[in-house]
Amino acid sequence: MLFVGTSLASVPLGHSATVEGIDRRHPLRKRLLELGFVPGARVTLVRAAPMGDPLELIAGGTHFALRRKDLELIFVEYTEGAA
Amino acid sequence: MLTIPTLNAVPPRDARERVVLVLGNPNVGKTTLINALAGTNMTVGNWSGVTVEKREAKVYFAGKAIHLTDLPGAYSLSPNTPEELITRTALLEAAPDLILNVLDAGNLERNLYLTLQALEFGLPMVIALNLMDEAADKGMTVNAAALSQAIGIPVIPMVASSGRGVKDLLRFMAEPPAPTQTRPTYPLALESAAHQLEAAAQAFEKLLPHTRRYVALNLLEGDASLRSKLTITGHGALVAQSDGLTQALASTNLEPLLELAEVRYSEANRIARLAIPSFEHRRTLTERIDRWALHPYLGIPLFLLSMLLVFRLTFSVGAPFVNFIGGPLQETLSGWAAALLQPLPSVFGALVNGALIPGVGTVLAFVPTLLILYLAMSFLEDSGYMARAAFLMDRTMRSVGLDGKAFIPMILGFGCNVPAVYATRTLENPKARLITTMILPFMSCSARLPVYVIFSAALFGSAGSTVVWAMYVLGTSVALLFAAVLSTRIKGVQDIPGVLELPPYRLPSASVMWKHGVNRTRSFVRRAGTTIATTVAVVWLTLSIPVSTGQGFATVAPRDSLFGEISSALAPVFAPAGFDTWQATGALIPAFVAKEVAISTLGQIYLGEQASSPAPLTALEGLTRLGNGLLEALRGAGASLLEVFAPPSLNADPSSERGNPLTAALSKAFSPAAGLAYLVFVLLYTPCIATVGAIANEQGRRIAWITVGYQLLTAWLLAVLTFQIFRHLL
Ligand SMILES: Nc1nc2c(ncn2[C@@H]2O[C@H](COP(=O)(O)OP(=O)(O)OP(=O)(O)O)[C@@H](O)[C@H]2O)c(=O)[nH]1
Ligand SMILES: [Mg+2]
Repeated sequence: MLFVGTSLASVPLGHSATVEGIDRRHPLRKRLLELGFVPGARVTLVRAAPMGDPLELIAGGTHFALRRKDLELIFVEYTEGAA
Repeated sequence: MLTIPTLNAVPPRDARERVVLVLGNPNVGKTTLINALAGTNMTVGNWSGVTVEKREAKVYFAGKAIHLTDLPGAYSLSPNTPEELITRTALLEAAPDLILNVLDAGNLERNLYLTLQALEFGLPMVIALNLMDEAADKGMTVNAAALSQAIGIPVIPMVASSGRGVKDLLRFMAEPPAPTQTRPTYPLALESAAHQLEAAAQAFEKLLPHTRRYVALNLLEGDASLRSKLTITGHGALVAQSDGLTQALASTNLEPLLELAEVRYSEANRIARLAIPSFEHRRTLTERIDRWALHPYLGIPLFLLSMLLVFRLTFSVGAPFVNFIGGPLQETLSGWAAALLQPLPSVFGALVNGALIPGVGTVLAFVPTLLILYLAMSFLEDSGYMARAAFLMDRTMRSVGLDGKAFIPMILGFGCNVPAVYATRTLENPKARLITTMILPFMSCSARLPVYVIFSAALFGSAGSTVVWAMYVLGTSVALLFAAVLSTRIKGVQDIPGVLELPPYRLPSASVMWKHGVNRTRSFVRRAGTTIATTVAVVWLTLSIPVSTGQGFATVAPRDSLFGEISSALAPVFAPAGFDTWQATGALIPAFVAKEVAISTLGQIYLGEQASSPAPLTALEGLTRLGNGLLEALRGAGASLLEVFAPPSLNADPSSERGNPLTAALSKAFSPAAGLAYLVFVLLYTPCIATVGAIANEQGRRIAWITVGYQLLTAWLLAVLTFQIFRHLL
C-alpha cells in the first residue's frame, strides 16, 4: 500500500494526528499494528529526546519512544493547527 | 483425564492440581500478582521486560494445588523477541486449566488486543483487572462488570501491589469457569481461509486441538517463528497450505496481518468504551516529572548527576562499616575463635584465623556498602526511571550502533552481570543482543566495588569516591567503545529498530525495595559463605603447600608456597602495569571465580600471617570492642552523608585513620599509580565464571571464549596505559 497522506514525522511536537496506514516497507509494521497504530488511531507527539531523537509519543494512552526515521513511513491525517 | 500427545507431551494431571498460565502485556503486574498470591519473591520492576523466563509458583486453595506459571510480558502472541517466544511456546505446548489474563485497567484498549488473541484458544480464562489505583489517578472509572459482560468471562478488579482483590481470583483457579464463545469476527475471506487450515490441522495429532485456530490465524498472518517451528516438527504441509491461502488472499488485496489487527483493535476499542463510558483526563504526576526528567538539555546531566550521587553514597556511607567489619569485628571474631580453637591442633587455627576470617570477612565487610547500592538500584528499577534512561541515551547508544533499549541491561550490569546478560532477551535485534552481551562484562558489577573501595581508601584518601566513580565511567566508556567497534564488524545491527514503552512513574513501595535490596545482599552473603569460602580454602591450601623440600605444610612462608611460586612466575607479565608483585598477581588468579575474591585473597596473603595467632579474647572483652567500633562506624557514616553532596576534592590526604587492616597493608604495598592500574585491570578483565556461563548459555561457547579473550587483552593494555600515564602524575 502506498499512502499519499502526511508522514507522522512532519507533524510538529505537541500536535496530534490520525493514523491512515503504515507503509509495507516499515521494519516495525507488525509491532506497531499490534501496539495500536491501526487506521483511525490518534497519535500525539509529546517531545524529543536530547539531540532531537527519539521522539516520545502517545498512542492509545501509552507513551512510546520511536525514532524520527521510523515515523517517516507512518502516514497520518493531520490538519495544521489542530493541537 | 484425557491426555493428548503434543509437541512436548503434557504429563497426566491429578484432579487435585490446576495449571494456570499468567498472561499479559509487559509491566502490568503479573509477577507482583503471583508474589502476592503465592508468597513468592520473584523480581518485579517498573519497566517492560523484567521477567524474561518462565517461572513457577504454587499455592493451595480449596484442596487444590494451583501451579501458577509466570510468563514474560507480551504485547501479542506473534513473538518479536525471545521473551515473547517463551510465552507463546508455553501457550502452545501446555494444556492449562486456566489462562489468567492480567490487564492494566488504565490501558484497556491496548491490553485487550492480547486478550482477544488469547480468546482464540477457547480455553477457560479469567481477567485480573490490575492497576485500578493508577487508572483512578488518571481520572478513569473502569467498570469491571461491564467488561465481564462484554467478553463473557469473569473480571476481578485489583491492586496487586497492595494485595487488594488478589484473593478473589483463587476460587476461579480452583474451579475454572467455562470458556466463552466470544470471538472477534474477521472478514469472510479470512475466516474461510482460517477454517480450511483448522480442518487441515486435524490431521496432525501433535497439535493440541485447542491450538488449531490460533495456529491457523498466525500462519495466515505470516508469523515467521511459528512457520519455522512447524516446518521442523513435521507440519510442512500445513505451512505450505497456508502459503497458498495467503497468496490467494493477497490477490484479492487482503492482507491478513492488517485485517486481524484492525478487527481486534476496533473490537478492543468497542469493549473499552463499554467499560469506561467517560473519562476526564487529568494531568498526571508522570507528565509533570517528565518535563524535567526528559528535558532536552537537562535530562542527560540530571541522569549523570543522579548516578554520581548513588556511587558516592555507596562509597561514603559504606566505608566506615568496612573499617568496622574489617577491623574490630574481625579482630573480635579471631580472638573468640582463638579461644575456642586452643584445644585443637594448630592447623585449624591457621585455617580459621589465617584464611577464613580474613578472607571471607574482608568480603563480608562490604555488606553495608552493597546494601546501599542495591537499594539505590531497586529504586531505579521500580520507579520507572529505567526506561527514561534508555530514552535519554538512545541517541548516544545509536552512535555506537546499538539503541537505547540496550542501555537497560547495561545499567542492570552495575548490580550483577548475570541477570543483565539474560535481560538482553528483550532486544528485538539478534545482532544488537549479541553485541550487548559481549560488552556487558565491562559494566562494573557490585562484586568489583569492594576492590575499588578498599584500594581507594588505602591510596587515594579523600579523592577515593572520585576514583570509584571514575571506574564506573571507564567501564561504561570501554563498553561503548567496544560496541562501536563490534557493530562495524557485525553486519545488520541497525536494520531492526525497537519500540520502547515509557511506563508511568510509580512510587516504589518501601517493602518491595527493601525485599529487593535484602535479597540481593543475601545472595552476596550466601556467595561469600559458599563460593568465596571454598575459593579461600583452596587458596589457603595452595598457600600452605611448600614447593621446595625442607619446609612443612602450613608453616611454609607464603612466597615459597605453591601459590607463591605460580604467582611469582606470572608476575612479570604485569611489570609494565606497575603491580608485578606475586601478591598482587596471585590475587587476580582465583578472582576468575568472582571478582571479590581478589580482596579476600589479598586479605589472606597480607593479613593471614599476622592474624594467625591472635590473642584469645573473652566474650566481654570482645563485646566492648564491638560496641565501640560500631559506634564509631555509625558516627562516620553520619558524617559522610554530607560529604556525598560536597564537590570532589583531589588533594589526597593519607590520614592515619585507624581503619581496616588490609587498607593499611595495601597502602604500603602499592604506589598510587600501580593501585590505579590494578583497579583498571580488575574492572576490565574477565567477569566471574557465572557471567561467562550466562554468556555461553545465551550466545554459545565460542562467543563466551572470545569475550574472555578480548577482555583479558583490553584489561592488560589499559592497565599498562594507566600506569604509564599516572606514574609521573601521582
Ligand atoms: N500502583 C500500582 N503498582 C503496581 C500494581 N501492580 C504492580 N505494580 C507495580 O508495577 C510494576 C510492574 O510489576 P511487575 O509485577 O514487575 O510486572 P510484570 O507484568 O511481571 O512485568 P514484566 O515481567 O516486565 O512483563 C512494579 O513496579 C510493581 O510494583 C498495582 O496494582 N498498582
Ligand atoms: Mg514479571
